[in-house]
Amino acid sequence: MTLRRAVAGIASIVSRHSRRRTPRVTIGRLAAGLSLMIWVAVAVATAQSGAPSWWEPGQQTPLPAFATYSNDRGQVAVLNVSGAIETKGHAFFEPIGSNGRACVTCHQPADGMSLSLRTIRERWQATGGKDPLFAPVDGTNCPNLAPADPASHSLLLERGLIRVSLPWPPRRADGTVIDPEFTIEVVRDPSGCNADPNFGLTSATPSISVFRRPRPVANTKYSTHQNFGVGPFIAKSGLPTAVDPITGKPVSMNLMADARAPTLAAQAADAAEKHLQVRGPLGAAAIARIVAFESQVYVAQVSSTAAGSLIEPDGPPAFGPQHLADDDPGVLGNNTTRYVFPLGGQWEHLPRTGDPSNDARSAARESISRGHDVFMFRTFWIKDSMHLNTVGLGNPTKRTCATCHGMHMTGMDTVNGWMDIGTTNLPWASEVPLNPWNEAKPQMPLFRITCKPGVKPHPFLGRVIYTQDPGRALISGQCNDVGTIVMQQFRGLAARAPYFSNGSAATLRELVDFYDRRYNIGFSEQEKQDLTNFLGTL
Amino acid sequence: MAGRDTTRTGVLIAAWLATTTAGLAQQRTNFVSCPIVRDTASVPCWLAEYDGELYFLTLQTDVSAEVTPPWLGHRVLVEGTVSAEPRICGGVVLKPVHLSVVEADASCTTTLPAEDRYNLTFAPPRPPGPSAGRLAFDNAPAAPPLVTAPTRQFTVPYDFDGLVGFRHARPLTDILEFARSVNARELEIVGYRGAVKLSNGQTLVEEAGIAKKRAQQIAMLLQGAGLNAPGYKVRWEDEPVAATGVDDHLSRRVVVTVRAP
Repeated sequence: MTLRRAVAGIASIVSRHSRRRTPRVTIGRLAAGLSLMIWVAVAVATAQSGAPSWWEPGQQTPLPAFATYSNDRGQVAVLNVSGAIETKGHAFFEPIGSNGRACVTCHQPADGMSLSLRTIRERWQATGGKDPLFAPVDGTNCPNLAPADPASHSLLLERGLIRVSLPWPPRRADGTVIDPEFTIEVVRDPSGCNADPNFGLTSATPSISVFRRPRPVANTKYSTHQNFGVGPFIAKSGLPTAVDPITGKPVSMNLMADARAPTLAAQAADAAEKHLQVRGPLGAAAIARIVAFESQVYVAQVSSTAAGSLIEPDGPPAFGPQHLADDDPGVLGNNTTRYVFPLGGQWEHLPRTGDPSNDARSAARESISRGHDVFMFRTFWIKDSMHLNTVGLGNPTKRTCATCHGMHMTGMDTVNGWMDIGTTNLPWASEVPLNPWNEAKPQMPLFRITCKPGVKPHPFLGRVIYTQDPGRALISGQCNDVGTIVMQQFRGLAARAPYFSNGSAATLRELVDFYDRRYNIGFSEQEKQDLTNFLGTL
Repeated sequence: MAGRDTTRTGVLIAAWLATTTAGLAQQRTNFVSCPIVRDTASVPCWLAEYDGELYFLTLQTDVSAEVTPPWLGHRVLVEGTVSAEPRICGGVVLKPVHLSVVEADASCTTTLPAEDRYNLTFAPPRPPGPSAGRLAFDNAPAAPPLVTAPTRQFTVPYDFDGLVGFRHARPLTDILEFARSVNARELEIVGYRGAVKLSNGQTLVEEAGIAKKRAQQIAMLLQGAGLNAPGYKVRWEDEPVAATGVDDHLSRRVVVTVRAP
């Protein structure tokens, strides 16, 4: 099937669709048709270029020590520092559960050990929606929906989101119930799952469904470090830090969107049960093998379509997975000795040779360098962000991207990284514009959180908060945690769009635009382009 | 003769002390106001107006600062002492100063632009971007406790009407580590409720029940951090400490006494 025929076919469908209905072809419907066309066109073009390949659970071929995969901005690499991984019989790669999935289903090497929306759509098209990725348990908007209907998987197919069902009220690590500081009501439930008598808040096991992106499983020494800021009490709140149930040591609480799993082992066990539907507990040997794999795999972009190789021998030490493997985790980046992403100034000013391709590459590298400087030094006023403005910096605080994204080499937080920047909380969260000319409907659930009497209201959002995903608050039960999400590492971004925990930024540019709106930064067009280019090389 | 001289000297000293104390008391400036943030060429200044005067509260630095900035959208309780230092950002310097973010107030929105005349005349402890490789202030851990000491008392300070927050990770860690190092037999935790005498003569009293909340929260947090072996004696004094207008912030506290076996 050629690209031209595919697009023509879709155009025909759209045309028939519009003929069948009244001539009032709305913006929403047109947008949906265009989106579908683009989706098919991209899928076909990708297949023709022979780009990223799907790693099939149980395919049993070794994962090379170093492998590269193409993406829109160049290539991402997966580095296994312990050498090639024998995947036969390996719990990360075998379909150990009852639904045919493996860990690798949602943590694909080609997608920087995460899962891109493009890959999801390719799998739907390649398998007619029968890939285990689309398992009803969480690959549908709710398990009670018809599995063959793409509409049942709309959040996965359109935003790259997996359903995460969490108990309400929350439980402590020892299983005891937390008395939450707030009540929660379902205001909007497009998935139907939160109001469902079997899966929702009124079910026998009251649960809340939120929808989140799979996070990259790589560079984990940075997300599990025991360095700066990790202590028995959480640096941002003074509350007790979660501990490793094996060692008893405090952990950095930077795993998952809500830090509910203290360790890689705990996350693996949780994912095996919830996402892979493993019957019974995952064995210790299997967990150990998963953790061993996850502890040695590194991911980063290694080439840029515009800027060329990112891993030349004398190139900037910010780039490539080997530098990640070699560097120290849990170090707070600064501007003198350990930059967050050390470019070393090598690409600030590059000579022009008159060779167009060389000069274009130099220009691209200079853009990346400028983007780095925007990230590090472009100040703006950060306002009303819980767990940032409340931790001693004042509200507002005049700072830079690197203030929050401060961990050397990854841009994560060194301390527990959950924060509310408005990606899920109203008024900043992306919402479908409702008006008579738009037939698009909201996809995300909406919850009303009411802080109980006797509890201090949220300092920036008040006593009643509307949110698409309460984030950490579903684990802690605290008003101040509503909508707080653990920030992610910046590595392999080009391989794993869309962005933010709710997939609300389809591209890196949309991500930059979100920050520009949220904090009234006033980025120039050049700054936006440079910052986007910089992020795309990490 | 000698006795009379001694008496006269004593009277003079007493008079000087009284004058000095009165002077110090007069220099105390306690008020509630909207904070004001003024941009500068480097880091923002935080200011507040009271009784026709503009006061400098603090600079934006980082989490290591002893005094951290307040929040727009909220009023701030200022408990300060007027300093003889030159004005900063146009404001009379209060030093030392204790700031508490108090009730939300949507009218507290004043952000002033940078003006050359108000730019800092010194390098701020930390630039607005990434640090120069260190935190702004020496925030080194407390000296290791003397493990032979049978008993040690810790005072946990609070903002007005405040419970545990980001500042408390360090003092809680100090308590935890000492208690573990001596295999503590008992922790006695006493919560207090404070009050502040403002410069306008009013007295602000912390909310009723906060002494209990504070004491119970400290116990819960220490237990939550795994300190379960010692016995806990938790009590509170809900009668507010009398406010004098001088160092009233010290009344907002929990005192933890750790007793070794």
